[in-house]
Amino acid sequence: MTWINMLSPLQWTLLLAIPPAILSLYFLKLKRHESVVPSTMLWKRAIEDLHVNSLWQKLRKNLLLYLQLLFVGLLILACIRPGWSGMNRLGERRIYIIDHSASMQASDSKPSRLEVAREKALKLIQDAASNDSAMVIATSDRASVEQGFTNNRSLLEKAVERIEPTAQLTDVSEAFRVAAGLANPGRMSFEDNVDIQVADAVPATVYFLSDGAIGELDESEFGQLKIEYVPIGNPDTPNAGILSFAIQRTETPETQANPGSISAFARMIQHGSQAIECTASLYWNDSLVDAQKVQLQPEEETGIQFELQGIESGTLRLQLDHADALPLDNVAYAAIRPDRQVSVLLVTAGNTALETALRTQRITQIAKVQIEPISYLTSQEYQTNASESKYDLILYDSCSPEKMPAASTLFLGSVPPEDIQPTVRDSNSADAKADPVAIPETTPSTNAPANVANVADKTDSPTSAVELEENPKWIFGELSGPVIVLDVNRSHPISQYLEMASVGIVEARTVRPPSSGAILMIADNGPLFAIAPRGPYQDAVLGFDIVRPSAEGMEINSDWGIKRSFPVFVLSAVESLAGGITEASAPSVQPGLPVQLVLSNRFEKYQIVDPRGKIETIQRSGDGRFLYTKTEQLGVYEVRAEGLEEPVERFCVNLFSNRESDLQVGLELKTGAESIAATSNTIRARQETWRWLLLLAIGFLMFEWMVFNRRIFV
Amino acid sequence: MPEQASLDASGSSDQTLLSPEMMAKLERMELVSRKIFRGRMKGERRSKRKGQSVEFADFRNYVAGDDLRFIDWNLFARLDRLYLKIFLEEEDLHVYTLVDDSLSMDFGTPSKFLTAKRIAAALGYIGLCRGDRVSVSTFSKASAPLVVRGRSSSHRLIGQLQSAQCHNPAPSMEESVRHFCLRNTGKGIVILITDLMNKTGYEAALKMLVAREMDIYLIHVLSPEELEPKLTGDLKLMDAEDFDMREVSISASLLDRYRLTLNAFIDSARSFCNRRSIGYVSVRSDQAIDPLINDYLRSRGLVR
Repeated sequence: MTWINMLSPLQWTLLLAIPPAILSLYFLKLKRHESVVPSTMLWKRAIEDLHVNSLWQKLRKNLLLYLQLLFVGLLILACIRPGWSGMNRLGERRIYIIDHSASMQASDSKPSRLEVAREKALKLIQDAASNDSAMVIATSDRASVEQGFTNNRSLLEKAVERIEPTAQLTDVSEAFRVAAGLANPGRMSFEDNVDIQVADAVPATVYFLSDGAIGELDESEFGQLKIEYVPIGNPDTPNAGILSFAIQRTETPETQANPGSISAFARMIQHGSQAIECTASLYWNDSLVDAQKVQLQPEEETGIQFELQGIESGTLRLQLDHADALPLDNVAYAAIRPDRQVSVLLVTAGNTALETALRTQRITQIAKVQIEPISYLTSQEYQTNASESKYDLILYDSCSPEKMPAASTLFLGSVPPEDIQPTVRDSNSADAKADPVAIPETTPSTNAPANVANVADKTDSPTSAVELEENPKWIFGELSGPVIVLDVNRSHPISQYLEMASVGIVEARTVRPPSSGAILMIADNGPLFAIAPRGPYQDAVLGFDIVRPSAEGMEINSDWGIKRSFPVFVLSAVESLAGGITEASAPSVQPGLPVQLVLSNRFEKYQIVDPRGKIETIQRSGDGRFLYTKTEQLGVYEVRAEGLEEPVERFCVNLFSNRESDLQVGLELKTGAESIAATSNTIRARQETWRWLLLLAIGFLMFEWMVFNRRIFV
Repeated sequence: MPEQASLDASGSSDQTLLSPEMMAKLERMELVSRKIFRGRMKGERRSKRKGQSVEFADFRNYVAGDDLRFIDWNLFARLDRLYLKIFLEEEDLHVYTLVDDSLSMDFGTPSKFLTAKRIAAALGYIGLCRGDRVSVSTFSKASAPLVVRGRSSSHRLIGQLQSAQCHNPAPSMEESVRHFCLRNTGKGIVILITDLMNKTGYEAALKMLVAREMDIYLIHVLSPEELEPKLTGDLKLMDAEDFDMREVSISASLLDRYRLTLNAFIDSARSFCNRRSIGYVSVRSDQAIDPLINDYLRSRGLVR
């Protein structure tokens, strides 16, 4: 027989306090009235033997007290529902799925839909039979099991109380999958490809407490689940919401002179049957810059546009001044990315195409380009700047430094110095070099597209996959030509927009990156352009020159320089390798979704400040990209680098969800062909009141005792 | 004044010690002394000494030198022998009244002290009417003892008693009695009127009086509040004399216990007195003075 605690600590304390309370009635120092007597001599003698061990004497003689304590003890025992875990039939299984997505924050049901859902869940838990086991799942765009199966009500109640409101979207399919999986654990076991049913499926009842803004459910996911849908909220709750808010730099000839011209666009919708008129106020860094009256027709999207001047940087907030049930979607954020000029060094003997490409308007906006001759590599200034990370990106055009700089690099036609090689696993390099034809395949981590893999197949090198796995080093082949570019890696930001079909190349060498890198371009003789991380930096090596010096002067090696794709390539390289940003508006994601950050390689560590001011420090990865997932909070997030006053990057988290903004409670859930109707709000269950009656009895008993004690006074 | 008389008879809160009717009754009474003492002056009491009174005591043979006036000539004529008639000497009696005037006496309706004063006045008046030497004193030394003789001094006696007040701190009973014994060396009746509420005990004081070979009466005055306390609830009892505090929760059992204690106290006092030939008389303060003196004290043998 195991002990099953049925009471919370507070209830325990209350119950255990009753016997001492009864005892204390004996010892309580009563307020005594003063009375003068001729002499206390006789009284003293009369009470003398009461004073000797008066406490125990009094108690010893008091049969009533013992009876009362016994009675109270039995009452307390009854209150804690003694029992034993015997061979009782297992009770019903219940699963409480509680929606805590953004729409559950609506205040049409006071204090909020989530509060109401929690209350209803608590009621359901209390109404369950004592041998029922239950679990609690909170769902938004992901599901989290707050409490696994248990029949301990206090654990379940605590789990329900733990559920906090979120600003996230709704995707309940995961919750139902989790519920089905946990309700019927070990349904199948695979042994030698034979399905063995290891446990009978146990039916469970799912109580789904939601406002119904969930879309369609897949019936096949339910398994043995019986769904009881408990709708929360008022069915016809009107709500206005912003569906999108974006900004764009205005790049017309008139505004060229004025770089701070910005257009802001917003779309908003009114759910419900009434049209409303409200004011949309636009704040720039929390000061009002513009406002418009908006007429919102029911169930119709309305767009508005703001034209702003002199907005350099900072955050914009669009606020719908309209009081409705869900304030979350009445505000939208946009941020203008901070100006971030990256520093780019081009070392060249002279390359008109490259120099021109670096002088485009886009590049001059994001980067400060310094062009130096090859002799600059030997100067003291270069040595210092290169080793102190003064540059974000160094382009070596047909030349290479003595050692790798503390910056990302792009080698055009030249072979990088030896120390580009990763320091690990040197012993394997000989084996790798033995088969220069082998075309390395990108590692799974770099997400090589299928077409690159297809190219590898065409080279009739069945062992290439194995070779690639073990290749720890950069391998540079000998010059050969002519070369035809077969394919480019469309998934990599540097090469995604390149069109190389018409590019002619006289001579090129194969460039195979270490296994941590990625091949960006493949030619008929092997990989031609590859990228690989080196500590916090990235190195990209292009296997051919655009122009190269010869005895007759500069000699054109490839016509890529005059193709349209070349400046695109240079811009992509500067953006990707140096971390330059060209978009004026900061990225915006929906709450809970990841945001990808491209960060300059000048700093090792960055701090992300969320809208509440919470700071999280992140370590920059090798390719300067970072996936930030903690986007639960609506608002503008800032990425800061140490020593810089201005943030280096901003991004916004906005609700922007028509489904969450629509507060009209669905009274049934659609599951394919069928639909689940709402369960009546009151679920029939045994309402136990004996505990309250017992407590009342204890109270009466104590009262009776007090009265009795009073009355025996003569 | 029939109304006044009835009030007095019922022992009301009237401060008058003795009413004229009461005094008239008292005039016919006398104090009973179980011992015969030598007085100082000729009084109305028989003395151990033979002397000149009208009351015949005995005959004895004539010896030369006897007063010829006392020879019984009738006897000489019959027997032809000379006998001398001996008469009893009548002497005065010393009546000492010692009244407890501690604060504990100032309780009850009427207060124990008033009852004590009434008893003292009544007994004193009886003594005065009988020509006894009456001395009234209280425990406290503040008031000097009053010694009077003769009925004409009754107003002084009553006046003295009337003006007596309870004192605090009153000297302990033992100390007062010692003081009394030192002051009064003569023999006589001592009437001690007290409630015996003395935390140091009354035994030593009474033993001291017994040692003086006095005829001692102890009039134990208790108020109805002491005999049947009407207390209820949770109380903090304060001693009127030493302000001692006792916290009690009055319950039936406690009251029973108190009554037992009180009875034991009275019994012990009575047996203590009986063993030492002290006349013990227990008096309730609410008893009317007339029946108290006429019936109760008479039945107890204090007066006749």
